[in-house]
Amino acid sequence: MAANEPKNTVTCTINGRTIEVPKGTRIIEAAEQLGVGIPHYCYHPGLSAPAMCRMCLVEIEGAPKLAPACVTEVADGQSILTESPKAREAREGVLEFYLVNHPLDCPICDQAGECKLQDYVAAEGRKHGRTIEPKRIFGRDDFGGDILYYGNRCIMCTRCVRFMREVAQDDRLCVVQRGNRSVIDTFFRDGLENSPWAGNIVDICPVGALVSKDFLHKARVWDLDRYPSICPNCSQGCNITIDTRDDRVMRLKPRANPDVNSYWMCDYGRLRYEWINREDRLETPLVRNDDGVLADASWHDAALVLIERLKALRGTAPVVIVGSPVHANEDLGLLGRVGDLLGGGERVFRSARAEDEVVLPGFPKLARRRDLAANVRGAELFGYRRVGGDDGRGGLDGLSTAGAVLIVLGDELLDVPETFGQDAAFFVYMGEYPSPAMRNAHLVLPVTTFAEQEGTFTNYEGRVQRFWPARHAPGLARPAWQVLGVVLAGLEDTTAPATAGDAFLRLGEHFAELAGLSYAVIGTRGALINEPVDLIAATSTEVR
Amino acid sequence: MAIGVKVMKRPEGSPSYLRASLRGMALTFRHLIDPRKVTMQYPDEKWELSKRWRGTHRMEVHADGRPKCVACGLCPTICPSNCIRLVPGEDDQGNRYPIVYEIDEFRCIFCGMCQEVCPVEAIHVGQDYENAEFTRERFVYDLDRLMAQDHPVTQLWDPADPLSE
Repeated sequence: MAANEPKNTVTCTINGRTIEVPKGTRIIEAAEQLGVGIPHYCYHPGLSAPAMCRMCLVEIEGAPKLAPACVTEVADGQSILTESPKAREAREGVLEFYLVNHPLDCPICDQAGECKLQDYVAAEGRKHGRTIEPKRIFGRDDFGGDILYYGNRCIMCTRCVRFMREVAQDDRLCVVQRGNRSVIDTFFRDGLENSPWAGNIVDICPVGALVSKDFLHKARVWDLDRYPSICPNCSQGCNITIDTRDDRVMRLKPRANPDVNSYWMCDYGRLRYEWINREDRLETPLVRNDDGVLADASWHDAALVLIERLKALRGTAPVVIVGSPVHANEDLGLLGRVGDLLGGGERVFRSARAEDEVVLPGFPKLARRRDLAANVRGAELFGYRRVGGDDGRGGLDGLSTAGAVLIVLGDELLDVPETFGQDAAFFVYMGEYPSPAMRNAHLVLPVTTFAEQEGTFTNYEGRVQRFWPARHAPGLARPAWQVLGVVLAGLEDTTAPATAGDAFLRLGEHFAELAGLSYAVIGTRGALINEPVDLIAATSTEVR
Repeated sequence: MAIGVKVMKRPEGSPSYLRASLRGMALTFRHLIDPRKVTMQYPDEKWELSKRWRGTHRMEVHADGRPKCVACGLCPTICPSNCIRLVPGEDDQGNRYPIVYEIDEFRCIFCGMCQEVCPVEAIHVGQDYENAEFTRERFVYDLDRLMAQDHPVTQLWDPADPLSE
């Protein structure tokens, strides 16, 4: 750096460790980079900081008073102490003030286990409270939508108010009254009803003041198993965690990804998870026997029938493939490859479409997109053509299946006529759920949903993102890429891909857009197709 | 080194058991006339149990007949033998309560940790040992059965000296 250029970094010491950060970095962010956690309530990286919770007070050597770490910018040469006796004493005092009115109803509070007040008090609060006065009592308030408000538990961090004002830009919450009588309230009759983003205030509430009606009393959070995944409900591809208990999905929570969804997700996606728990699943391969009945078969027998028939019909019969945009790139891509090997033919998919997008004003990159399935872009990439109406139905009448190889993957076919696939030379139904359309199928193969397998989705802007399995597959259900990999090995005389990562690399060989991508390159933040991957940017920790 | 085997000397031929029988009868007769009684007449008389005896469970109830349990989930969490099944819900007054609360007394190891962890002193192990049943299923106590138990509950500590000082 030339000597006359202005320096735009500052160097400070936090707890005796030196760090150099850009000018304007706040102490709490600089500490975060060092792995030093500073307790806080009102600060949230996605919101403004009012410095009103007084939890993040830290000592700056030489300064007369403690400074709030969430708004104080780091100055050159500062020595910051987060664990000094003064800072600890301040936090202990602040926590005692919070507990003056906070009810100790952790046993019946849904937040217990992921509650910041519980955590901080357990870590550095006073052993016993000293208040003898009765606590104020507000009871609970139905805010409308999915939100319940327990006023007693509220610690007035106002994250929810600021979220609605700054991010949702739909100012429906405010603080009413003053002092210890202050509560959060709505001022319209309909409260948070029909607010598409209100669910996020439950996530950012550090205590159990705002809870989800859907999750109310459903599970204790310490019993939940959390798996990183991608929201399947629209083509935005929000990063989520799937929280399961006893193999059942209990809730979806957003996972931070600055390129896709920041810290947020919409209520539409958040509340549509029950279908993952559906019990009526296909659990074993079915092969039509000589009597014309679909009978249970082993995967070995089913795969032999499948490969033999496809080999026999290869190049002679037309190919018709019906895919599903809630299936992974690996599944749809390998199926497309199978179609190409059989002689091309037609590939279609059907997907429900909403009337318009619902954009989050404070983070316009995030919207509930029109396509209500995660992998529409992926399906189009692999040569599938959209058919049918905006309700995800119809459109299959135009397909000529006479004498064809007909492969259906993941589409439940609830609206097709009884004769669908009757005239096909070979009809393979690969699905999660039993469907009436199976009546004409020669072969039924049980496959897993996205929540039971590893894979990738391609979102609306072409960002390929990984998801991980969250549940056990029922019965003998297998990921579709695994089944199709075996078919490819049979048709092409190669080896079958052993892992989802292998299957993804195979896609790169056949579909130029994915060439150069791999699971390692995609990482946890996703990678855009046809765009050089900037590994330095992909590993940066900046999140805003 | 070979293992040493102690070979007992057995009587050969056919021994007489007369002397041994008489000795046994004498012992019985001595007990018959002994004024010290050690046999408990069990169904009529019962042992006084220790206050810390931990037997089958009992759920405390409120005056209006509701269970005291708030379905917080701490007992199934701490239970080392995983014998408690709990499904929480909300009653018509907005209180959290257990829709399903079952304890499998066969799985239970009677450690008493459920009683110790309970924040509302609802579930207790009890001073009870007469719990024979004709079927295995009957050993899964549901909420109604736990609330209907009327035996005294275990004292895990002395209320006069809770810290054992």
